Amino acid sequence: MDMWSSIAIFTAINVVAVTGVFVLTGLTGLFSLGQAAFMCIGAYTAGLLATKYGWSLAPAAVAAVLLGLVAGFIVGLPTIRLRRDYISLVTFGFGEAIAAFLNQAVNITGGAMGLSGIPRWTTLELALVSALVCLFLVWGFKNSRYGRQCLALRSDELAAAAMGINVNRVKMIAFLLSAAISAYAGVLYGFYTSYVEPVMFGWTKSAEWIIMVFFGGINSLSGAVFASIFLTALPEILRAASEWRIVAYCTIVLFILNFKPTGLFGQYEISLQKLWEVWKKKAKDVEPL
Amino acid sequence: MILETIDLNKRFGGVTAVVDFSLKLPPGAIFGIIGPNGAGKTTIFNLISGIYRPDSGKIIFQGSDITGLEQHQIARKGIGRTFQNIRLFRGLTVLENVLVALDPGAPYGLGESLLSTPRKFKIEKSLRERARHYLNIVGLDKFRDLAPESLPYGLRRKLEIARALATEPQVLLLDEPAAGLNPSEVRELISLISDLNGNQALSILLIEHRMEVVMQLCQCIYVQNFGRTLAIGPPAEIQRHPEVIKAYLGEEE
Repeated sequence: MDMWSSIAIFTAINVVAVTGVFVLTGLTGLFSLGQAAFMCIGAYTAGLLATKYGWSLAPAAVAAVLLGLVAGFIVGLPTIRLRRDYISLVTFGFGEAIAAFLNQAVNITGGAMGLSGIPRWTTLELALVSALVCLFLVWGFKNSRYGRQCLALRSDELAAAAMGINVNRVKMIAFLLSAAISAYAGVLYGFYTSYVEPVMFGWTKSAEWIIMVFFGGINSLSGAVFASIFLTALPEILRAASEWRIVAYCTIVLFILNFKPTGLFGQYEISLQKLWEVWKKKAKDVEPL
Repeated sequence: MILETIDLNKRFGGVTAVVDFSLKLPPGAIFGIIGPNGAGKTTIFNLISGIYRPDSGKIIFQGSDITGLEQHQIARKGIGRTFQNIRLFRGLTVLENVLVALDPGAPYGLGESLLSTPRKFKIEKSLRERARHYLNIVGLDKFRDLAPESLPYGLRRKLEIARALATEPQVLLLDEPAAGLNPSEVRELISLISDLNGNQALSILLIEHRMEVVMQLCQCIYVQNFGRTLAIGPPAEIQRHPEVIKAYLGEEE
């Protein structure tokens, strides 16, 4: 039971993180290889405030998300104007810089020894509710004027600007939203593992999230959620196969990307309306019998 | 004059794309720009719509200087455009392609977007109606839920026009709107453009190779060759202009 609840919590945290990456990579088409650094900022800020200053969950979480936003703004301001491939490079550098800083600032962060003794406040309920709330917010973002503008500039920046879209501003909004969500995922993560160290938040983590978004379907929030559930739970379930689990994981991901380059879901979104239509159709098909 | 350019110049490295281009577009007029490939016609559009900054010269729109403004600022001021090589948004439906043009001015904020407030849905509904109005103008409403890539070429051109209309321009720049259309589509396009000009009081500047389009629609034609303006005048005059005939048909030995 404990193992299952642990898998469920990690999965929910990954769903939160992946909704953030979905906004940036899925909707806006920007690749941030430093996204885990925002998670890192969230985890360390909340962890330090709770352990050293005795802050409780809510204010620590709010402070962590705000600091994530500030960091996002500082990194985003010069980065957003760059060409897309350079954005990946700069965010990559930012991620590594944060990890290096945490390693060096031994007396604040504990350096490579990590930060331990963080209270275990993330319960299964909190993780699940957080995942649902983030999903709701990002769903709202996608189905709004902002989501459409993100998709438009992902497809063609020049034409988007010709429609009166302030391309840099919309990119910045997407960047900040995803930084805030990633920082919040970090808060949940730190408060669950009760221990964080810099190496947990390297570029491989950021890349893992991007893989999840691509795996699920670049344009589909449902797909991203499905992928984060599937790909987080899969290695845990395959744990019995020990070292072969990485091989199995990579093979599955490569197969999907090879045979369905737009991802598992493509652009398809699951919605209540569509489920209702499917159900109605089924009912109709059955009637004549 | 609703749109005026004064001595626009643009070079790319050693290539002079536009030399001293001056144009005066009166309100409600349809003017055309013609010329062989590489004459700098599209560069003129890119200068007016802010994709490039001119090396020198001025662009005046409704009496105010818009030279050097950002592309999106110029679009919001009321200069809409289409592209020669159709540039529709992939990943959005036909209707959403038009909605995007309404989005920068949509009256709800980020908070309402995230929280999906009832007000957001109400505004979204009215935006959709407005977008469908523009689709109706070009006759594409019945295709609204399709992906733009699935439309035949001629309809994609129309969708580009609908999208440009949704930015609610006073001046519309059409870059080779008839390219790749068959004769009946060209006739439809001509009546669409003259309707837009008549009913919506839209001033139009168009680049075109198809002479029937230019000759039927434009009150005045600018002929460009190697970046320079060769001749300016009404269609009948341009057709007889010796310099123009030389540029198009080549010099007799």
